[in-house]
Amino acid sequence: MSETAVEARETRKVYGQGAAAVTALGGVSLAIRKGEFFTLLGPSGCGKTTLLKLIAGFESPTAGQILLHGSDITFDPPNTRPVNTVFQSYALFPHLTVAENIGFGPKMQGRPKAEIAETVKRMLALVRMEQMADRKPGQLSGGQQQRVALARALAPAPKVLLLDEPLSALDLKLRKEMQIELKRLQVETGITFIFVTHDQEEALTMSDRIGVMQAGRLLQVGDPRAIYTRPANRFVASFIGESNFLHGTLRGNEMTLDAGPVLPVEKGDNAPAAGPVTAAIRPEQIRIAAGGGIPAKVRDTVYFGTDTHCVATLSDGTEITVRLQSPVSGDVGLHPGSDVHLRFEPGALIVLPEET
Amino acid sequence: MAERSSFDISRLPGFATVAVTVFVLLYLPIAMLVVFSFNAGDSVAIWEGFSFRWYPEAWQNEEVKDVTFRSLKIATAAALISTTVATMAALGTTRRRATRGQTFVYVMINQPLMVPEIVTGVALLIFFSTIKVATGYQGLGYLILAHSAFCIPFAYLPIRARLEGMDLTLETAASDLYANRWQTFRHVTLPLVAPGAVAGLMLAFVTSLDDVVITLFVKSAGQDTLPTYMLAQIRRSVSAEVNAISTLLLLLTVVLLTAFFLLTRKRS
Repeated sequence: MSETAVEARETRKVYGQGAAAVTALGGVSLAIRKGEFFTLLGPSGCGKTTLLKLIAGFESPTAGQILLHGSDITFDPPNTRPVNTVFQSYALFPHLTVAENIGFGPKMQGRPKAEIAETVKRMLALVRMEQMADRKPGQLSGGQQQRVALARALAPAPKVLLLDEPLSALDLKLRKEMQIELKRLQVETGITFIFVTHDQEEALTMSDRIGVMQAGRLLQVGDPRAIYTRPANRFVASFIGESNFLHGTLRGNEMTLDAGPVLPVEKGDNAPAAGPVTAAIRPEQIRIAAGGGIPAKVRDTVYFGTDTHCVATLSDGTEITVRLQSPVSGDVGLHPGSDVHLRFEPGALIVLPEET
Repeated sequence: MAERSSFDISRLPGFATVAVTVFVLLYLPIAMLVVFSFNAGDSVAIWEGFSFRWYPEAWQNEEVKDVTFRSLKIATAAALISTTVATMAALGTTRRRATRGQTFVYVMINQPLMVPEIVTGVALLIFFSTIKVATGYQGLGYLILAHSAFCIPFAYLPIRARLEGMDLTLETAASDLYANRWQTFRHVTLPLVAPGAVAGLMLAFVTSLDDVVITLFVKSAGQDTLPTYMLAQIRRSVSAEVNAISTLLLLLTVVLLTAFFLLTRKRS
């Protein structure tokens, strides 16, 4: 038995024909493991929702294959796939009660009535909506509708649950609650979750693994820590969290910055051996010191509550953002124009591969 | 003061006078018709005491019975045909992404609302007489077809209003939840459209029931409907019988329109 839940093989999707053709997905290969919380992360239009639709069966790929638990489902209609979706708009049936909505899947599967009733009861308890069983979706709040949509998609016990930006319509506080709730549901049910979002923080906090997408291509797949600490390229480094980019020349494990100083570096995947390179460093990895390190001049400080960001310029004009913890009282004591030194641990500066 | 600055049309001078005048003009003639349908005498202008005599009298008139049943037959058939067509049109124009030329399709479907009835009447007269010559068929079919045609927009509008703005992914969600095409239609699309379709059916029925202009052009000899019969009666002599029939028609319309209102009002 394979340990792969969903596999995409060289999957391409092109909309339109001839000159008007738009490539939504350009030959993506990806294996999602059984029982994992996998997130497809990328800006809008990157192809993440297209990939989800291909897995659900709402669209057919132009080329390539989709496999579910090892069997080819590329051209199976959606109603024969043991895969369910939580839609961005929830798509709850407005003429049915909460209980009838949740029972819809098992009913269409032809399960016996007693079993459906038992499933509905279990699902209502799972999403803590027992009190709302007889309400219509129109009488529920956004967060409640979200729970019903989840319960409805989980009720037929799918092999894979697809979630298409389900939290995007909720306000910040509710979204945080639902993130925890979703993770709990995934652990309790053991079902493979494929979650689509453009929110990098959501992806980092919930996922077992993340696939970062841009312009129809899969750029990097890895666990949140790997994606954050060892971004595969400049796009990943800037889309997930914030990054500073430094340009210079690489020789061995040392990099001579265009601004002058020579620094030890960590080589990312596919980084070149030598020559002109770009390296990334996170704002929170940099400390401000009285001496040593890279000389810089403070341009501005911005107060963010728990953090204060200090923007400093190097001698060649490169801007570097440093994230400092705000002191208990007063400001960080840095004023525009003052000279500082920037320091960081060896290994914090990652050499990125050349842009293709 | 904030209350002063906010504009409220009901505070304009003469607002109450205009409103009351309009309602009186609208309903006074109808009220008089209803009152005089209970007149004991023959006159429709002089009150001679209360009586129910015109109701049984109208009912015993074989001609009235005949035209009433013909009208009901035509209205029922036309309402069913036009609502079926309008339901399909509404599904086709709302349960999908908006496309180019959508407005043109709306205009085409609602064409009978814009084209003067007299034009439609003449056009149908010429069109149907060609068919009559070719086939020799003289029956009620022509009236039913004509009524179905001009009832389509009346049936279409409430159905479209009902479906407009409903989530387009509902059918996708049903197919995701293991429903095949027929089950999706049966359990999702049909229940969503049903209240609109019933409302459209009633509106089309009422519209067909009181049509005069197109019916006059299309009907063959001996195919009088209730409205055209009443028109002919009034031309000859004003009969109090017509008042009674009108009152009953009014009652039927009020009942149907109340039901229509209850069906189409927004659920709280």
